[in-house]
Amino acid sequence: MDWLRRKWRALSFVGGLLALWAIVAALRLVDPIILPAPWNVARAMPGMLRERLLADIGWTLFRVLAALVIACVFGIPAGLFLGYRQRAYKVVEGPLHALRSIPASALFPLFLIVAGVGETSIVALAAYPSLLVILVNAVSGAALANQSRLYQARLLNLSSFQMVSDVLFYEALPSIFDGIRTAVSYSLVLVVAVEMFIGLGERGLGRGIYLYQSSYRIPETYGAIMIAGMIGILLNWVVTKLQHHMLRWLPNVREEQ
Amino acid sequence: MSGSTSGPISGPISGPALSTRSALELEGIDFSFAARANGINVALYKDFSLRIEQGSIVTIMGASGAGKSTLGRIMAGIVIPQKGIVRRSPDFKRPSDLVYVDQHPMNGVFPWQTVLENVRYPLEKLKWESRERRDRICYLMTLFRLSALSDVYPAQLSGGELQRLALSRCLSWKPKLVILDEPFSALDGQVKAEITSALHELALKDRMTLVLITHNVADALALGMRCIIIARRPVRVMSDLDFHLGFPREENTADYGVMQQALINGIRDGLV
Repeated sequence: MDWLRRKWRALSFVGGLLALWAIVAALRLVDPIILPAPWNVARAMPGMLRERLLADIGWTLFRVLAALVIACVFGIPAGLFLGYRQRAYKVVEGPLHALRSIPASALFPLFLIVAGVGETSIVALAAYPSLLVILVNAVSGAALANQSRLYQARLLNLSSFQMVSDVLFYEALPSIFDGIRTAVSYSLVLVVAVEMFIGLGERGLGRGIYLYQSSYRIPETYGAIMIAGMIGILLNWVVTKLQHHMLRWLPNVREEQ
Repeated sequence: MSGSTSGPISGPISGPALSTRSALELEGIDFSFAARANGINVALYKDFSLRIEQGSIVTIMGASGAGKSTLGRIMAGIVIPQKGIVRRSPDFKRPSDLVYVDQHPMNGVFPWQTVLENVRYPLEKLKWESRERRDRICYLMTLFRLSALSDVYPAQLSGGELQRLALSRCLSWKPKLVILDEPFSALDGQVKAEITSALHELALKDRMTLVLITHNVADALALGMRCIIIARRPVRVMSDLDFHLGFPREENTADYGVMQQALINGIRDGLV
């Protein structure tokens, strides 16, 4: 009940959109080949579940999460280290931003040559821009660290590792989370897009959307697209929860709760 | 100029001229800001000298914007003057022996650590034995009345509680010289009196040299035995007064009134 009271505005907006969709479909304002009715999309769901939906969701989620984990495991420590050693960052800054400005999708052919057709190239392609955005956010977060607190930390004779893990990590954490949030959408977009172009026997939501569309099963196409959107919402929700937990010591996060 | 601009600040070993009773000596300090809109160097310090005796509690008082915080940072070695020598006592062997405590208490604590963790962390990193560590934490948490707040994050503390935490954290490892920048600025009378007496107790017990920086006459009179009033542009010592007041202070005595008037006069002259 409490949840409903807090969320009723957002829920009624979604409800309004669905109602609008239903009206447009009922009055046949748009050709059903372009926009099927919501109830037809809903009716297609059980069939999709029997066919391949769960496997598709599972594979897509696995690839996105794998890309994010790789991006975090390498991007955060590397970014914090570069933020700590500004001189090292100055050396790699130019090439780093050059790499960042290449669209990841443009690199896919290259990934196929290097890693071959398969999981490695999909995950690597999604991990690549995710890693860079998390790394750059970690660098800027560490570079903006509170100088007085760094002075306090230096008094304690911390090793470089402790300096990064005990101080800079927390100083940069709000900025790192901004990076993770961007990385979530990058990964999902790239994984779904790449899945559309991989082998026929493959699984994944992107593959599903492509196959439904090419056999003119439009309600199923819409259903799979909506599922992909929901995965995005779900991942964002998880990141938000994680952020609230890990940044519970931040003043403004406290006040929001 | 050669030899005087480099070296002495970074190393703990002092120059030969340091008097044995000094904790810290500044000699011929020149310092100016280049970062003004018109690009002209604004000389903040010109040939400034100062001596802080070991074991003393010294207040540095000056008007707002006089460059008091910069002085504290120069003493702590955070800011390197363009010219002059900063000599530290050879007793200061480790970086942690000389501490500058920022006027914003949130800058002196790690907000991601709870109150207890904030006091414990420095002692762990400075490799205190676990028994000594426990005793010290217990003593400080009681002295600064933080025991009930062990598991609270700094952001949830009130201004006075946060100030007490910042102080107990920086004083936890028994530094030899502590420079406190406006330690009472955010506090009301009762809390201020508590913190003052805690500082007094610690300074005596741990044989700390304490430098307090303030713009406030009452704060300058709250603690210590010597008050240096500085004037600005360039910074110079206006007056150097010795207190002969007991502790805790009794504000209704004639001596207190005399000192108070002396400080008020001093800071007024310093503004001109």
